[in-house]
Amino acid sequence: MNIDLYGMLLQAFAILLGASIIVPLIASKRKLAGWINTIAVAIAAGLLLYVAYMAIFIQQAAETQAIFFGSVPVYFLIDAFSGFFIAIISFMAVISALYSIDYMEHYKDYSLVPYYIYFPLFILGMIGIVTVDDLSIGFTVAWQLMTIASYFLIRFEYKEKQNVRNANKYLILMELAWLFIVVGASLINGSAMGDSIHTLTQKLGTSGGMIPVVYALLLLGFSFKAGVFPFGQLWLPDAHSIAPSPVSALLSGVMIKTGIYGIVRTFFWMIPHEGHTVNPLVWGSIIATFGAVTLFIGTSQSLKQSDAKRLLAYSSIGQIGYIVLAIGAGLYMYHSSNMFVQMLSFLVIIGILYHVLNHAIFKGLLFLTAGSILYETGTKDLNKLGGLLKFMPVSAVIAGIASLSIAGVPPFSGFASKWTIISATLLGGSQVFFLALFGIIALFTSALTLACYVKFFGMSFASTGVEWNVEHKPQEVSWKMLVPKIILGLLCIVQGIVPFIYYETIMNIFRSSTGSIVQNSFNELSAHNAVFTNALGVTINVPGMQYANAIAVPLVVIVIVIIGFAVAYMLKKSAGSQEKVMPTWLCGYQDLNNNNRYKDRHMFAALKSMLWWTGGNVK
Amino acid sequence: MDILLIVLNIVVFLGLAPLYEGIIRKLTAKVQSRQGPPIYQPYLDLLKLLGKDNLVSDNWAFKLAPMMAFAAVTAVVTIVPIGFKANYLTHYADVITIVYLLTLAGISILLGALSSKNAYAMIGASREMITMIMVEPILAMTFILGAVRMKSLAIDASMFSILSTGYSWSVVLMLVVYLMALQAFVARQPFDISEAEVEILEGPFIEYSGPNYALFKYSMMLKQMFYAVLFVTVFMPFLHTGLFVLDLVLQLLAVAVIFVLIALLGSTNPRLRIDQAVKYYAVLIVISLCTIALSVYGI
Repeated sequence: MNIDLYGMLLQAFAILLGASIIVPLIASKRKLAGWINTIAVAIAAGLLLYVAYMAIFIQQAAETQAIFFGSVPVYFLIDAFSGFFIAIISFMAVISALYSIDYMEHYKDYSLVPYYIYFPLFILGMIGIVTVDDLSIGFTVAWQLMTIASYFLIRFEYKEKQNVRNANKYLILMELAWLFIVVGASLINGSAMGDSIHTLTQKLGTSGGMIPVVYALLLLGFSFKAGVFPFGQLWLPDAHSIAPSPVSALLSGVMIKTGIYGIVRTFFWMIPHEGHTVNPLVWGSIIATFGAVTLFIGTSQSLKQSDAKRLLAYSSIGQIGYIVLAIGAGLYMYHSSNMFVQMLSFLVIIGILYHVLNHAIFKGLLFLTAGSILYETGTKDLNKLGGLLKFMPVSAVIAGIASLSIAGVPPFSGFASKWTIISATLLGGSQVFFLALFGIIALFTSALTLACYVKFFGMSFASTGVEWNVEHKPQEVSWKMLVPKIILGLLCIVQGIVPFIYYETIMNIFRSSTGSIVQNSFNELSAHNAVFTNALGVTINVPGMQYANAIAVPLVVIVIVIIGFAVAYMLKKSAGSQEKVMPTWLCGYQDLNNNNRYKDRHMFAALKSMLWWTGGNVK
Repeated sequence: MDILLIVLNIVVFLGLAPLYEGIIRKLTAKVQSRQGPPIYQPYLDLLKLLGKDNLVSDNWAFKLAPMMAFAAVTAVVTIVPIGFKANYLTHYADVITIVYLLTLAGISILLGALSSKNAYAMIGASREMITMIMVEPILAMTFILGAVRMKSLAIDASMFSILSTGYSWSVVLMLVVYLMALQAFVARQPFDISEAEVEILEGPFIEYSGPNYALFKYSMMLKQMFYAVLFVTVFMPFLHTGLFVLDLVLQLLAVAVIFVLIALLGSTNPRLRIDQAVKYYAVLIVISLCTIALSVYGI
């Protein structure tokens, strides 16, 4: 069974490699190249999704497996945890490839040869990162593949000097991150090239005083990739905002998650059983602090941006903050001596993967939306945009769904995962104040996130602007660009209203991934099934408490809201009033024009000036 | 019985919210040495608006917004317990859901304002959003204070926390903060910055008329009644007698007292600028954070 999975993994690699060689040859036929690229990626993704499915649901115990490339053995590990990431990466890859077909028409002056060489290689590299099981040979190959491929994708518009500079910065910082990780791993006592993580972990136990250094370097390296404050600010907004939009969707949606993958693997798997160990409470609070700071700073910087894609990029930093906070809080709470807090740690650990999934979907969707806007209007400056509701109605609805999702409004997907993280930290806060503080920061920040997306949606789709600032009249994008967005939009809703399914899946992932510190506890959890009683949603009920500890039943909430809608509609129609369309009224003496519009840079001025100290200010 | 309690919730809120609004208007007039409209005037206003022509902007978001606001607020008032008794639906949500639902009502106003294309509406929307960001944490922390004491985010657990565990210094501090934020919660002077009639002509609502405006008005009334009921339930547990009908009547009377307070504060204070208000809210947020800290350490 296992051989089969690894074989399929290699097949998928071969297909992606083949695509990167063959498709560029026909890149002058732009549409055809796009289609063949999509088909190749889709076949590879089909294989990979099957691998992921088997790894998560069927396979019982995963063993690390050496695959020989020539005479060099490279260890691979496909367990449920990597299966989860394989699934997200390959799914988003297909979506992005399909979207690229028409979108790349936007770049008439550029040859598509580099795009189709590096697109499949980028996917290959990311899949590699989440499947290789060492921190030396295999890791280096995968990391370099991912980094260099994405470097060329980011500098796709190389004729703009600034883009090349930003891409170079990205390359240098990612190489630095790689150095941190590889050096960190080599500091482990007696580590050899090509050691599997399992071996490394055993050796780590005997490393004595080097242990904190190793952890610090690994955390640093992966934090660079994930975009944690202050490292993310160095490269993430610059790189993500200049890449072609389908690539931005992959960068923000999935690539930075490989950093999260690394952090979780390091702190939940690479924990030696014998010898010197580390103090998980200390590391937990350090990571949680990084998370809380990142989510607040990232989001408040995002609020200040007027460039649509920069806004999204900064907000990615903010959302990564939620995930990192969940990792830190999970680590801390799991090792807490208090039973109540320990029980809640499961909730927050589930929140890690749930938010990874949700963020991949809605941030991918938001970047595709920004791409559609850029494609149709030629600008991503929110000061110039506005009024696209009328021209791009379908895109507008989908953008609205994505914005509500990321802002965490029930019953959309962001609500379910943010609820998971926030409620666990708040409840944990009844014992440990700093957790409550971080929970409150997270709750406050989701209002800031909302403000960002009110701005993003309001200033591009609602309000006015394109009438005067865009030469061609914008239209709805073609079906090839709409279909990927519709799929993602539907997922945003599904992931929000049936959180129960995702909870079960994620618990299953932690149950069946061997070697993690939480595996046994998750197994016991299923036996008692006391923490999560479930009907339509999720209820957390630690045994022995008078009240349920936390409840999220989006289905019931949505039914109540829909009934509310019906009542509102009836009220509205009750007196038979007539509806008339009227032009905007500006106190009677002037029509709306480009000079009396309310522009994006004025939005939230008082708030922005109060938060000047968080940086990322835009003049 | 379960269904009856839910119906009662809806009837009490939908039925009485305009009356409380009437109290404010009458009292404000008295303070300003005017005669003032009859106390039932808000009912007449709503009825009148429902019959008027509905002037709209040419997009779906503009028409959707008022219904969304009404639906979100109605959902909130259906779920919250009144008369110290949780209804059936109270157990299908927790305080985080309530906070987010109130946010949804807020966004609806913003959506309507932004899609109306009016510059004044957008100024109002910008201010409304800032107010939401700064005031929502205070509301959230009122709930969280209870949640931390009871180790539960359930709505009834959090709202009845003082009823079951008694007052403490942190509760008193939170009570003060809540009162100081009350005018901002209900968008009255000195914090009616986002509507500011004489300055930006009702801000977000400038383009609304007829039934759409009625829905917005109604949801604003419901929202302010919710904040008053929340105060009474959380901070005045001494009204609890154990007899449901008596509890309910006492609570509604106490709500009326809160509204008198709102009217007096509103009619005697000048409006702040948004940048002044933001600083004021920031101080309140910090104080309310301290109350949570005190509460975690059992003070």
